[in-house]
Amino acid sequence: MLLTADVPPPEPVAGRIPGNKGIWAGILSEMTEFALLFGVYFVARAHYPEVFREGPARLSTLAGTLNTVMMISGSYFVAKAVHAIRQNRQQACLRWLLLVLLAASGYLLIKALEFRWNLSQGVTGGMNLFFTVYYYLTFTHMVHVVWGMMGLMWVMVRTRSGAYSPADHDGLEAFASYWHATDLAWLVIFPLLYVLH
Amino acid sequence: MTHEKLLDRLWLLLVALTLGGAWIGEAVEPGLAVTLIISLTMAFKGRIVVDHFMELKTANRMLRNLMRGFFYVLPAVNVLTILFGDWLARLTTL
Repeated sequence: MLLTADVPPPEPVAGRIPGNKGIWAGILSEMTEFALLFGVYFVARAHYPEVFREGPARLSTLAGTLNTVMMISGSYFVAKAVHAIRQNRQQACLRWLLLVLLAASGYLLIKALEFRWNLSQGVTGGMNLFFTVYYYLTFTHMVHVVWGMMGLMWVMVRTRSGAYSPADHDGLEAFASYWHATDLAWLVIFPLLYVLH
Repeated sequence: MTHEKLLDRLWLLLVALTLGGAWIGEAVEPGLAVTLIISLTMAFKGRIVVDHFMELKTANRMLRNLMRGFFYVLPAVNVLTILFGDWLARLTTL
């Protein structure tokens, strides 16, 4: 059935699983992995409070803030893309997904510049436990963003080929859920590593 | 308010909270109050993404509770680590 843009999109069914069960197995594994890493952060901070108090001052708050804006904006653009496909607006969906790609690329660029700046300041993972945890957490997060970008390119191709409709867009929702989860991990990383002194 | 407008406003709110949090981290003297504010902001931002961007507010209850729980537990542990750091260090010393 072809819906037009002025027809209200179908409301998601209460109690449903967004996307599919497979992606949620992946998301819960990802959140468990980050929960363990955050556990390491808390234990390390309890043992070396001074090191964790001084560490954030050696990092670029600007880079951390800009990356947070990139992640939040990417999450927002994905939500708008899902909303667009529910209204059968495939071109609008594709434009929102393109913005997600730009936000993700911006995140990677900022991260690369931040790591380069760190090295020029002599900030390496071996300096102390704060920076070991910092590099471990941010590298792990970056890897998840790169995986997400691969999924993003796949759903862009699928959207362009007309594979999604208001009635069937589980693949797009699955990607959206993964991307939001990656955003959520960063929403914890940012205050713990860049803001809390 | 339409779903689309709600998303727009929540995005602006999240960006504003991020900039506010960064400013607090740079300009305000560190302490328990700052830790509390930052932890509450972390919890609030996470809840917005979980409920509205991820659309778990009306979705499967177990997924909703697990994802919301992440943003109850971590901000709480963050504050507790500040308050009881010595105890945690003793507990985790081999």
